[in-house]
Amino acid sequence: MSGTEQANRPAVADVDTLEVVSGTVHEAIEGWVPDVADPEILRVALEKAFDYRGDVTITRRDGSRIEGYIFDRRTGATLEQSLVRVMPQGSRERVPIAYSEIAALAFSGRDTAAGKSWEAWVRKYWEKKAAGEPSVGLEPEALE
Amino acid sequence: MAVPISQAWTVASYVLRQKLKGRKRYPLVLMLEPLFRCNLACAGCGKIQYPAHILKQNLSPEECFKAVDECGAPAVSIPGGEPLMHPEIDKIVEGLVARKKYIYLCTNALLLKEKIDLFKPSKYLTFSVHVDGEREHHDFSVCREGGYELAVEGMREALKRGFRVTTNTTLFDGADPNSVRAFFDEMMELGVEGMMLSPGYSYDKAPDQKHFLGRARIRRLFRGIFSNRKASWRFNMSPLFQEFLMGKRDYACTPWGMPTYNIFGWQKPCYLLQDGYADSFAELMESTAWEQYGTESGNPKCANCMVHSGYEASAVNDTFSSLGGFLDTVKATLFSRYPDVQATKLLDDEVKPVHSHNPLVQLQTSSTSPQLEETRA
Repeated sequence: MSGTEQANRPAVADVDTLEVVSGTVHEAIEGWVPDVADPEILRVALEKAFDYRGDVTITRRDGSRIEGYIFDRRTGATLEQSLVRVMPQGSRERVPIAYSEIAALAFSGRDTAAGKSWEAWVRKYWEKKAAGEPSVGLEPEALE
Repeated sequence: MAVPISQAWTVASYVLRQKLKGRKRYPLVLMLEPLFRCNLACAGCGKIQYPAHILKQNLSPEECFKAVDECGAPAVSIPGGEPLMHPEIDKIVEGLVARKKYIYLCTNALLLKEKIDLFKPSKYLTFSVHVDGEREHHDFSVCREGGYELAVEGMREALKRGFRVTTNTTLFDGADPNSVRAFFDEMMELGVEGMMLSPGYSYDKAPDQKHFLGRARIRRLFRGIFSNRKASWRFNMSPLFQEFLMGKRDYACTPWGMPTYNIFGWQKPCYLLQDGYADSFAELMESTAWEQYGTESGNPKCANCMVHSGYEASAVNDTFSSLGGFLDTVKATLFSRYPDVQATKLLDDEVKPVHSHNPLVQLQTSSTSPQLEETRA
């Protein structure tokens, strides 16, 4: 599956006439545990996991589990030839896992961007202004 | 001239060497992301949406040097995250200066005053400060009141100490061209070396997915902003890239022109899109299906892109690809005022974002009432 094929944005007939663009549509999939016994569902779920803005948990067929961030996926003709690469929690390792090794997948981590839209910021701004706060801002989340 | 002659010569001679070698694809600027952590939480940013264990990671100086040596580009841009939060940013910069790389350290400058003693002024080091326009516009864009003031304080201190300082500005739907032009005056008065501008790209992973300019709107906005220039304004951008943004010329994307390296490896295919990673620069160049990217490819993820990371390298390549391109660049450099009556009228148009964007002011042009501000709340 190529970058073009998997793009979750509408195709554009004439890019030069665009006034604004439709951004990416993010589904609410935090907590989702797809049934990946079907190879096609596995492929689709791993593509969503690659786009996901949080950690996932993968259980291998040998029973071992890995929780981390999927930063890469390479798709081939078969599940054996396709793989995801995961950066596990607490490590800088880049762990490759073939699709064929995956017995279970869970979107276990929080979607780190959910609920942080521009509109949410504008709403917060006016709420804090109304409450008399002198200096309004969004703070990055604590890393612990 | 917004770029010192030694830098322009280094880049020009590098590009000519690539041409003489017959290299079809070559990098111009390495985008080195030593961390993803940031001290801001901008809604439009797609670079920091990671779990905590990823945000805590840093590239080591040695990893940075290896990537720089592998890539071979004459210039290195250090974005992030916020690079001044990297515990060894001074060592990274020192190592790159020793390699005679022209460095653009892209910072929001919130920490610049505090950390400035870590650095020594050098012709190779430029602080490229992210400022998204005048005070209110910047603060609203970066979701932090007071951000502009701190950035300006940092810039003042850096300029006082003899550092090279430029600005980089990202524009979203709803940007007010008159305010942007007033911002140019402010920055020139402050004494920055030059200014860079770019339309915001709709990052896949950004929280905000609504306020990104399409190509038609980008061209109108930049025509309004860049035409009828004041002689005092200096831009740190290729002249032909500026004409591209104004709609005066068209280019195909050069996604390999500004390759990106971070803790995951070499990002495919470009600075903006994350379609996987390669473990080496050679693998990136060989294994990326380049034809699937760029606006001309029909890839919806590239539909609105007119960003420097894809198109400034195209413009630079144009300069050195033919006598015509070179002469166009000379002409654009010497005659850079771009008088345009129609563009003046564009400045009079009311700013009408497609989606409700921000509750900020829209300045009126001098043809109407220069002192008044109109609230769009």
